Amino acid sequence: MSLINYSSREINCKIVYYGPGLCGKTTNLQHIYSRVPQETRGKMISLATEMDRTLFFDFLPLELGQIRGFRTRFHLYTVPGQVYYNASRKLILKGVDGIVFVADSQIDRFEANVESLMNMHDNLSEHGLGTEKIPLVMQYNKRDLPRVVSVADLEKELNPSQAPFFEAVALRGSGVFDTLKVACKLVLKTLG
Amino acid sequence: MVKGNWALFEEDFWSINQILQTLMRSASSRSVMLIDKTGQLISSIGEPPGFDVTSFSSLAAADFAANAELAKMVGETDFATIVHQGASESLYLSLIANRVILVVLFDKKTSLGLVRLKARRAGDELMVVLNRLFNKLQYRNEEIVTTSLGADFQAEAESEIDSLFQD
Repeated sequence: MSLINYSSREINCKIVYYGPGLCGKTTNLQHIYSRVPQETRGKMISLATEMDRTLFFDFLPLELGQIRGFRTRFHLYTVPGQVYYNASRKLILKGVDGIVFVADSQIDRFEANVESLMNMHDNLSEHGLGTEKIPLVMQYNKRDLPRVVSVADLEKELNPSQAPFFEAVALRGSGVFDTLKVACKLVLKTLG
Repeated sequence: MVKGNWALFEEDFWSINQILQTLMRSASSRSVMLIDKTGQLISSIGEPPGFDVTSFSSLAAADFAANAELAKMVGETDFATIVHQGASESLYLSLIANRVILVVLFDKKTSLGLVRLKARRAGDELMVVLNRLFNKLQYRNEEIVTTSLGADFQAEAESEIDSLFQD
């Protein structure tokens, strides 16, 4: 949940990258980390297993600088995608201001996307939230791979609420910033 | 502002900082931090820590959240306090008003007993300030944001986002 501190004049917002295992959530954050100016980003924290799979979360703080006298920050988190880490996913959604759902475009991962999306709705509703209250941006990742589901089909099955969507190849950075920008702007809109 | 978000005002911020100052001095601790349960730093008092406080806050909140789930699993409502004791540096974390986490960083110059005692007292005082703040927020949420942020803020923030977030 966003925190506005009128005394120290700071605004902090939390954006969570959600999606099935190996869909590219951490890759999104790594690309952002590698490209934004050094003074804009804080330290990136990854709580991962020895195999580099996210165990609890990745965390990347970004700072816009002073906007109308307010130091404005976005805290980006990823959730662990693997099915059995649901308790962790639920915790990370606590206080979320915006969600980027990263879907894996490969045909073989279609079911995993659907399951993860249902899981996200379940976890949000446990916090008394829903995507009607929390801004959502869809990212269809891995568009460069062979055997991918068409965007029209992904849209039909995964995005009934017609949230903004972007095609991406996170490994090369394509679509990563388009997604982030829209997510940040939508979150700011909810502030005022 | 959407419901569930919260804001901190000048007068409450200073009341909070005063309580944290007193706690730091009376417990002979190195520094004291107040962190929102979702991992955002509210205030930090004392020696400037030699670590990244933003990352620290997110990890402390995650630590607390994970422990709260563990508590539920063993049949407790929550673990109201958590202590991490190191060879030279230790941390005392405690949940206040079910919304914020009070963190005391201390070393061998003091004892866990003293930190715990003083932190409890500070916790009671913080509870009063925070409850007052949350009551105020219930009534003023809409008014606060429309008067303080507004369209100019939005436009300026968007242009900053466009210039900073790109390949």
